[in-house]
Amino acid sequence: MRVIQVKCPQCNSPIQMKQKDSLFLCGQCNAIHVRDGGIEKLDYEIAEFSPSAQGEKVYMPFWRVYASFVIRSKNVEGGSMFKLMSFVKGSSDGGNMFIYIPASEMDPDNFKRMATQFTSGPPRYSTRLNFGGAGRLPAVVNKKDAAELADFVVVTMEAEQPGVLQRLDYTLTVNDTKLVYLPFVRGASGLMPAL
Amino acid sequence: MPDISVGLNCPTCGGAISIAEGENAVNCPYCSSVLFVEGDQGVTTIAFKNKVARDSAMTSTQSWWRRGLKARDLPKTGKVIETYPIYLPFWRTSTRVAGWICGYEERRHTDQKGNVKVERIPKESMVLQDYSYSEIACDPGDLGIRSLRNLVGESSFADFEMIPTFEATTSKDDAVVHAKTDAVSKARSSARVPHVTFERLHVFPRALTMIYYPVWVVRYNYRDRMYMDTVDGITGQVLSGRAPGDPLFQSLAVTGGSSLGGLIAAGSIIYGSSADDWRIGLAGLAVGLVVLFLAYRFFRHGSERIEGEFKDKKATMAQTLKQVQGVAKQLEGLR
Repeated sequence: MRVIQVKCPQCNSPIQMKQKDSLFLCGQCNAIHVRDGGIEKLDYEIAEFSPSAQGEKVYMPFWRVYASFVIRSKNVEGGSMFKLMSFVKGSSDGGNMFIYIPASEMDPDNFKRMATQFTSGPPRYSTRLNFGGAGRLPAVVNKKDAAELADFVVVTMEAEQPGVLQRLDYTLTVNDTKLVYLPFVRGASGLMPAL
Repeated sequence: MPDISVGLNCPTCGGAISIAEGENAVNCPYCSSVLFVEGDQGVTTIAFKNKVARDSAMTSTQSWWRRGLKARDLPKTGKVIETYPIYLPFWRTSTRVAGWICGYEERRHTDQKGNVKVERIPKESMVLQDYSYSEIACDPGDLGIRSLRNLVGESSFADFEMIPTFEATTSKDDAVVHAKTDAVSKARSSARVPHVTFERLHVFPRALTMIYYPVWVVRYNYRDRMYMDTVDGITGQVLSGRAPGDPLFQSLAVTGGSSLGGLIAAGSIIYGSSADDWRIGLAGLAVGLVVLFLAYRFFRHGSERIEGEFKDKKATMAQTLKQVQGVAKQLEGLR
């Protein structure tokens, strides 16, 4: 076992952070990189806070998975299968969609709620170049796992509709995965979106 | 999470840092440098400090002699021959399972005329859970230890040169495969969907750790026969062992079991015939046979008490269940 100091792969500056995070942000050049089986520099977006956002501002990392989804056959007892297809852009039995996977540590209920909320209603935002002094939640979900979790999220969205899912024959192909920081404010009832 | 941490020094400022099990990045609390742990092929290795003294291990063994259906004169007659510590290697991993299991459950309803109606209840179950798994990373021989029970202890390699260490001989890939299989199996059990029509589970191995765990081996003698047990080097509890049984308990078991089994079977048959319901008699006969079989099994194997994860013990239990199932099937055929 060997311990090394983490340095930015873009400008070679030592990384300094107050919190544990699997995404290493360089304070000098703002590059973010990961070290999951090798050093990889990540392309990312930071969403702008709503001007009316009040309270402690914090950014939450999400993996935005752009995927193609095709349903071959399906069977639901006592319900219908239309919800998922309403999010898919394309033909009646398939198309493309953005799936938002929370990358920070959270309990299963919150994970499910956040993922389905942003996937069913994709956020619209303007971007900015830095975090502007706002806090940043650490990421624990890596890019590869996000692609698999995207599959879980689309089935979850459908299974939680009226009726009991019995069979779903489909394919989900991940075309692209991008890191997106979405703005939140910390309130009495927890973190609330501040887009 | 288990309370496991490794003490290291920051390569930038030299300050003492602590890294939790499974973590590969840590922030130095003194200079805020971000540090990355490059393990042995991605595996973090931890050794627990031995906290149990030789006398305590012997005391644990002697108090274990008094528990259970062991020979009554074992505490007086048993004599410890040797006691020594060893380090055993274990793979430990945490695995997250996310997915859905859908299907149905069948419920049978019988009306007053004896007609059976099968109701099919559709079920869907989400799984989003972390599962821990551990397995021994070497051939445990006759030690009777195959998995870790305790995960709380002080990490230190200080005892490594003084305590004999078993080398890890199983591969980490095999351990990950076993952990995945175990996690999926537990996820399926938690879903409680008897007839599955759709299943999509995603398995995420999160952290793989090699843990060297201290264990005391105690060899003892009883009436010119050698026995052995193992004592946890951190908690001081007996992990596994073989001990002599007691002929009196064996005799009582076979006598009492035969009497009880016979009474249950005969009573049920008599009551069933008077109530004109042959099913009562058949059920009583089945229960009586099971009691008789368990009594016989205790009599047959009661000369030696075995505790722990021994291969032959597992086989015996599996055989028992198989035999009981065989009897049940034969009775089902009679109906």
